[in-house]
Amino acid sequence: MSTTSYDAVIIGAGHNGLTLGAYLARAGLSVVVLERRHEEGGGLCTEEITLPGFLHNIHANYHTFVGMAPPVTDLDVRGHGIEYVRPEVQMASVFDDGTALCIYQDIDRTVEAMAEFSPDDAATFKRLYDEAHGFVDLLLGTLMYQPPLSVKELTKALSTFGVDKRSEFLSVKLRRETINQFLDAHFTHPRIKAHLAFHGAVCSYTNDVPGLAIGFPLLVGKINNWHLCLGGSHRLAHALWRDLAQHGGVMIADAEVDRILVDGGRAVGVRLSDGEEIEARRLVASTVSAEQTFLEFLDESVVGADLAHKVRHEIAHKDWSLFSVHLAMGALPHYEAAAFNPDVDRAWVVNLGVDSTDHFDTDWKTIRAGGLVSPQPNAAVNTLYDPTDAPEGCATGLLRQFAPYDLAEGGAAGWDGIGRSYGHRCIEAWRRYAPNLTDEVILDWEVFTPLDIARKLPNMVKGDWMMGEISLANMLDQRPLPELGQYRTPVQGLYMAGSTQHPHGFITFGPGYNALQVIADDLDLDKWWIQI
Amino acid sequence: MPDIYTPDWYEAVKTAINDAVDTMSDTPEGAWTICVEIMGDGASPYTPAEGMRRFLVRIEAGRCLWYRELDGDPDERLDYRFTAPASVFDGIAAGLDDPIDVVLHGAIKVRGDMRFLLRQAELVNVLLGAYTSGVDTTWPQGRPPYGSTGAVTK
Repeated sequence: MSTTSYDAVIIGAGHNGLTLGAYLARAGLSVVVLERRHEEGGGLCTEEITLPGFLHNIHANYHTFVGMAPPVTDLDVRGHGIEYVRPEVQMASVFDDGTALCIYQDIDRTVEAMAEFSPDDAATFKRLYDEAHGFVDLLLGTLMYQPPLSVKELTKALSTFGVDKRSEFLSVKLRRETINQFLDAHFTHPRIKAHLAFHGAVCSYTNDVPGLAIGFPLLVGKINNWHLCLGGSHRLAHALWRDLAQHGGVMIADAEVDRILVDGGRAVGVRLSDGEEIEARRLVASTVSAEQTFLEFLDESVVGADLAHKVRHEIAHKDWSLFSVHLAMGALPHYEAAAFNPDVDRAWVVNLGVDSTDHFDTDWKTIRAGGLVSPQPNAAVNTLYDPTDAPEGCATGLLRQFAPYDLAEGGAAGWDGIGRSYGHRCIEAWRRYAPNLTDEVILDWEVFTPLDIARKLPNMVKGDWMMGEISLANMLDQRPLPELGQYRTPVQGLYMAGSTQHPHGFITFGPGYNALQVIADDLDLDKWWIQI
Repeated sequence: MPDIYTPDWYEAVKTAINDAVDTMSDTPEGAWTICVEIMGDGASPYTPAEGMRRFLVRIEAGRCLWYRELDGDPDERLDYRFTAPASVFDGIAAGLDDPIDVVLHGAIKVRGDMRFLLRQAELVNVLLGAYTSGVDTTWPQGRPPYGSTGAVTK
């Protein structure tokens, strides 16, 4: 077998791997990004899984860090053909009594919409948004796009700066509180609280988990920054690949890594499943899971028994996953709640009927026990803002229902037997709020179960779409383990650069970008991207 | 008492900062070059409405080593850049606005490694305290807040 050689070998061509590769290529390194699947993108996959001409974002759909993540600018993704749309009506909740709450790009309109339910809560939301929006730059610069501080360092700084006395909402004590507690402390109307909790959950911040209140103000600060990628999320992956390629980097598809090669305690390359070896002269970066990296690609004698044990038993994964239904439709949904607020028919993402945080709490208990809840999915219709994703006069739909990976009956494998019937129940739930979505209007549909996530994207262990639990214990420098929390590993020259790392999954670009800072320090690279 | 933004005033600020830092038991090693950008906003009479004043400040081991006003963008490699409308900086210098509040609410844009500023929160507090209350400043064209028409109120 032949051996090729690069400065940097990156495992996984998701957006973090491509981002890291593109920066390193621009820094003058020779780079190869290896992808197991037939195309780049990882979770950024857009496919015609229903009917020809209907483009479905199979996994990643919501781009919420546009304008915030440095790589969007540094790597000129727009120059590579990306066009983002920021929907005017970002999201909504529709309720059983025919009312609806819309969240607009224009925050003043959101405040007006909330005032229909509670003027006091609307005023509180405005103050929270203004405060959070003010420090969102600071928090992003401090917490998202830098190798992480520890929780202790962070809380000490917040105390020294007296943030508790200066802020109505941000407080050191939030590190012990749930989002429910935060909402109860500041808001009164159950539907406003439910919608804000829904927004948190879609961002993977579960409302009943202690400590997640600390991140909640940041979520509110970007509540109106949801974007979709025209032509499908995969176009972002393609743009990143173009940048990589234009700067001399290479992406190889259908290149499944079998082993990371180590010599004298240093990562020196990889071996592919077909036996080909690729030399890494300066570094290997893994953007796949810690389990794959340390248990499959490396021998325990290299990793060490202690770390191998921790990777096997102590890495925390999300305790709920996503069940999706992708629909090809002959019409846009028309909600009964449009009689209350016509704008709901133009809402990109709609929370169907969850009207209290108690509802969520009950669902989480059921889901954590492996049960299926009575579906109350959220519904996204990309065609509203991207007419190119469906034939003229038609639309795509995406239903997402929070669900377990391991079913109480049948385990994960059980999804193959019940996926279709659960999908049907999700569609029925949508119809209750948008009765025009009859069988004649729904032309075709396919499900994508938690098991399908794990099959298609095995780095998302057990359908863990954030590649690690979202909890205070698994944040910042503790993610995914303290030993790996700064992107370096016990193997010299081997870095972790995927969503197992701080900050987390979602299209943040953060793990790849932050690993880059560490790699640049270690290799003494010129940080061309830092412009102060 | 020096006039705001005059060489005498900057010397007084520098002295106040260094006096304050000298009282600290532990100051960080290292040196940092900081650019402060004061953008004219039509409210402050001390910076032309469409103009910008830039200052370069050198900090070593917490102490201010030197500062100088610039004609344009600095050639030096920067560690931090603080940018804000002139009336924001004026309000802080006048002791009207709390600089941490101002930063928290996004009125001052900070570029650079925020982790260091958080890790050295105590030093940052000392530096800001000296800036805001370490110097008796005179305001020849009026002290903030200014009149609603841009006229001076004393």
